[in-house]
Amino acid sequence: MRAFLWTPTLNSSFFRNGLFLAALAIACTSCVTVRPQERAVLADPTMQFEGDKQASTPILHAIENREGSYGGSGVSGGGCGCN
Amino acid sequence: MQLTSRWFRIFAVGFAFTSASLAHDRSAHAQVAEFNTTHTVYYEAPARTHMFVYSPAADLKVTPIEALDVRAGWEADVVSGASVAVKAGPAYAATHPGSGPDVITTASVHDFRNVAHGGFTLRHDVVALDADYSYSTEHDYKSHTVSVGARTDLFEHNTQLAISYARNFDFVCNRTQSPTALPSQYTALENSDGCFTGGATASRLTDQIAIDGFQASWSQSLTPTFAMQFVYTGQITNGFQSDPYRSVIIGEGLKAQEHVPDNRTRNAFAVRGNLFLKPLKAALRVGVRAYDDTWDIKSGTVDAEFEKYFGERFRAVARARFYKQSGALFWSDDYSGGNAPLGPKGQYFSGDRELSPFESILVGLGATYAVTPSKGRILGLLTNFKISLNGDVIQFIYNDYTLAGSEVSGSRALMASLSMTLVF
Repeated sequence: MRAFLWTPTLNSSFFRNGLFLAALAIACTSCVTVRPQERAVLADPTMQFEGDKQASTPILHAIENREGSYGGSGVSGGGCGCN
Repeated sequence: MQLTSRWFRIFAVGFAFTSASLAHDRSAHAQVAEFNTTHTVYYEAPARTHMFVYSPAADLKVTPIEALDVRAGWEADVVSGASVAVKAGPAYAATHPGSGPDVITTASVHDFRNVAHGGFTLRHDVVALDADYSYSTEHDYKSHTVSVGARTDLFEHNTQLAISYARNFDFVCNRTQSPTALPSQYTALENSDGCFTGGATASRLTDQIAIDGFQASWSQSLTPTFAMQFVYTGQITNGFQSDPYRSVIIGEGLKAQEHVPDNRTRNAFAVRGNLFLKPLKAALRVGVRAYDDTWDIKSGTVDAEFEKYFGERFRAVARARFYKQSGALFWSDDYSGGNAPLGPKGQYFSGDRELSPFESILVGLGATYAVTPSKGRILGLLTNFKISLNGDVIQFIYNDYTLAGSEVSGSRALMASLSMTLVF
């Protein structure tokens, strides 16, 4: 049997860290503006956060049936204003 | 099979009706219908067990007016294989010399899971609202899922916020136990005969599972070639969550149906970044995820995909993923005894390898051919055509899970999928 060498530490700091990251990102991006005419690349199929949904869905289905964790997968959209 | 045939007929009639309606008034809409189909095979054969799953899926999305998408689909899992029916650990095997791995028993598995789903999206300006319903059924499990979601664009479309909520009403077939029996005396379900036959039978009952899921995400364009996304997922599950077929040896001459807590709360937080490398005509997608739950499973995931264009129509992708989790608080490879970390862990016991500490490594390749004519239609019919082929290998490395002390060799899953998209 192999020793369990590493375990990520997750407790209430899990949420504090997430909140901090989110606040930091807001601060960093509040002045960022990508103009509409510059969004062609962001709208490309390769730049979507869920990837190619037809390829990623079967993988997600398999690993959710083989792993103890769940959630956090990519959500559709790529910040391209393609709503 | 009868059920599938009925769904197929419903789907075929719906598809034909929709196509005919849209063909009648095609000139009124730029994009009217999108049809997707995916066929996936999954195979694994770790020591003593094996599993083969074929999963076909078909979806149709129609946009009758600019502000509305209507979608419907069907998918299935055709499962055959063998899984562990009685799990023992190394301490039990050591005290029963000669029995070796034979104290582990396996049972053949044959199932047919069907899922039908439908939903719609309403759009107005920068806001979109989604509502979906799905129903899945198999010999021993039924599930109704209702989900709603909302998303909006902010700051000149540079920011996208989305929230969604899903509620599952699930039903699982179980064996009727003696009302005076303790969980340590429960007997596992031997097969699905008599399940969901309407009304309780002498040997079968239906347990319920309620699942509430919430997700919030924030996507942000940072530069014309770089975007990030933050995702939080929470889920609360209440109900029977054991495998009703699996037994665990928990003492000398004592074998009981797996018994895990009824409640589980799960949290996952993920950060993703997508970068387009213009000189390479390629996208790099990277993600990290942290997860924990009230069963004390903690996990971390790192994944990356590199997708490159070769010409306008062809692109290839390479992906890799590393996953590592700790075991559940009540996980033990042998509840019957032995030195720590073996031995009993309170009132719960499980033989589920997914609750043990392990790692997995995924590598995969894919290729996509997509055509979007700048004017006109392909064959006078399609505004877009896409076909993709993907293959993946997942290696599982179990740190603590054994079959009566024997390490599980060959824990490798192979996956292949072929998908096609037609946009009319």
